[in-house]
Amino acid sequence: MNFKDFLDWFYKFFGLKRNIRLGIYGETNVGKTTLANRISLDWTGEEVGKVSSVPHETRFVQRKEKVQLKLNKKKIILNLLDMPGLATKIDYKSFLKYGLSKKEAKKRAREATEGIIEAIKWLGNVDTVLAVMDSSRDPFTQVNITLLGNLEARKIPVIIVANKIDKKGAKPQMIREAFPGYPTVEVSALKGKNMDDLYKSIARYAK
Amino acid sequence: MKMKFNFISSSVLDGKPLNKRISFILNKVKDGTILVTDGVMKPDEEMALIKETMRRVDTGFPGIEVASLKKPTKGLQKVVESMSDQSDRIRKYLSILTGTKMKTSSLKTGLTLIGPAKYIKNIKKNPNSFSVLTEV
Repeated sequence: MNFKDFLDWFYKFFGLKRNIRLGIYGETNVGKTTLANRISLDWTGEEVGKVSSVPHETRFVQRKEKVQLKLNKKKIILNLLDMPGLATKIDYKSFLKYGLSKKEAKKRAREATEGIIEAIKWLGNVDTVLAVMDSSRDPFTQVNITLLGNLEARKIPVIIVANKIDKKGAKPQMIREAFPGYPTVEVSALKGKNMDDLYKSIARYAK
Repeated sequence: MKMKFNFISSSVLDGKPLNKRISFILNKVKDGTILVTDGVMKPDEEMALIKETMRRVDTGFPGIEVASLKKPTKGLQKVVESMSDQSDRIRKYLSILTGTKMKTSSLKTGLTLIGPAKYIKNIKKNPNSFSVLTEV
């Protein structure tokens, strides 16, 4: 029994409620902040962070605490943790095409590297993870494989969120085929599609 | 421009503690070498590699591209692998408690390619193979 298991047992034994730290992880531009905003808007009416088409918009862990989900008779209190996008490379030059100056691009790249390190450190402090993937992109990437492998090794419950199903050419079944055995929910966080299915999955798997 | 491939036996990496193993890999890759080895890092080791890569990213080194293929394990082999993971965990705790460095476990059987993102433009993966597109 590790410390987290002990805490779970302790809270359960004394009938106490504990906030679940729900980490939202994934590669860049898969819609993590859009998803965090959607969950937060649905239950608190407030957003978590700014969304942008420029990669690495989220360079610091963004939090929304005490998001209370009410599902049938069950109440779950979440601390949402919107993580910077994971990547194995960050080239400042890739930001220049979005109109950023060289100085701004370099600053963004430096902050993005720090954000990735922070997101990796947080893996030891989350209770449950939403692994977000873009349904219109190839899901079988080393970052996704490494992320899921880490969560499995740490015994952290994970729900795969096949996001952006509203996009033309979206193939969420590719995600199911690439990672069978994981609970997978197909959503469009942008349009709010199938969010109830995601909330049911959170109620079922999060701990 | 020329591109250098380095095919190294996993035994070269196995003998090193994780931080030295990662340094060895990144020093080679930062020099423009593509490393290929007959072993696969564990997920936590891969995360440590990504973390260290991020620390070393600069204007001339945007990072790395990694692809690995793990040999599927079945039956007894899977049990042995799981026991090896447990003993690694015990070794790690003992190392923290005693403050002594303990030998890290060996890489898992498979194939790994790690190269500079500056030259590797795309890696297309599927469960049984991967293809690498480079641009020099």
